[in-house]
Amino acid sequence: MRQVLKQFAVALALTLGVALTAATAQAATSETKRVSVTGEIVDTWCSVTMIMFAEGSGHYQCAVWCAAGGIPVSVKDEDDNYYVVLKVEGEDTNVASPSILRIQAHQVTVEGDLIERDGVKYLLVTQVANDDGIVNLSHEDVGIQPFGK
Amino acid sequence: MKALMITLATVLALSAGPAQAAKEWGIDGEEVAQFEAKAVDVLCELTGDCPPNCGDGKRQMGLLTDDGKLRLALKSNTSFAGAALDLVPWCGKRVEVDGLLIKADPMTFYMVQRLRAPGAKKWTNARAFSKAWAKENKQKNASRWFRKDPTIKALIAEFGPVGIPGAKIPKP
Repeated sequence: MRQVLKQFAVALALTLGVALTAATAQAATSETKRVSVTGEIVDTWCSVTMIMFAEGSGHYQCAVWCAAGGIPVSVKDEDDNYYVVLKVEGEDTNVASPSILRIQAHQVTVEGDLIERDGVKYLLVTQVANDDGIVNLSHEDVGIQPFGK
Repeated sequence: MKALMITLATVLALSAGPAQAAKEWGIDGEEVAQFEAKAVDVLCELTGDCPPNCGDGKRQMGLLTDDGKLRLALKSNTSFAGAALDLVPWCGKRVEVDGLLIKADPMTFYMVQRLRAPGAKKWTNARAFSKAWAKENKQKNASRWFRKDPTIKALIAEFGPVGIPGAKIPKP
């Protein structure tokens, strides 16, 4: 009888262990959705907070500063949705991503996986499908914002 | 005299508190928010892709609150810099932060202004980027780092200050 109870306890522990492991794994990952997003690569801090003019070529220099400083970069679409770029395929960093640094203020179409959580749309980019370069020539109206050259 | 000293000390203690609290920026949707949370690698938290020590500063960091909310730590107290280096020493640990929770229309995120171990008296200003930048670039400090940074200077030299090589810049 003692042997049977011991085997039952071991089986129960194993079952609970597997169940807990599965639950933990599920908690660590979020639901993803395949998307294609078209918009401008923007400096998330300046753009969302609107603390300064933060669009197109007029804000390019500042966008480079912020991206190099490790502030998350977003793709802002025409409906003013912000998709925070959390991963670029093939790169091991999402802080001052070298490839994103080179396309600040560009109009792009990217493909990737979208994860939404607690008020943020996170984008895991698998491909930059199109890059039109900088199309918003705001510097012609506002110069260089902020601080000038 | 003793009573006067005690009164003076009390007044100073009370007045010192608010002056050292998080600085408001006047941003739409901002609220001063001081709380304890677990510092996490955001990509790890969302996908299970978890390098050691939250990527050692190469991953964006977030704050996982006790009610299960994930707050993206978007900005630090260094001008034009994020908060990854401030939070990475706390990877997987509880930390108390003080700063601004910004609930803007398009998204919600957090600006870390200072942080400390839960229960500790002393706060650390969230300026880890400044220290790291000055050390890496062999400078005394990181004053106007964004004008001196070699990566930025190389990009501006290549693409120009408006991102378009050869573009004419109108005079202000």
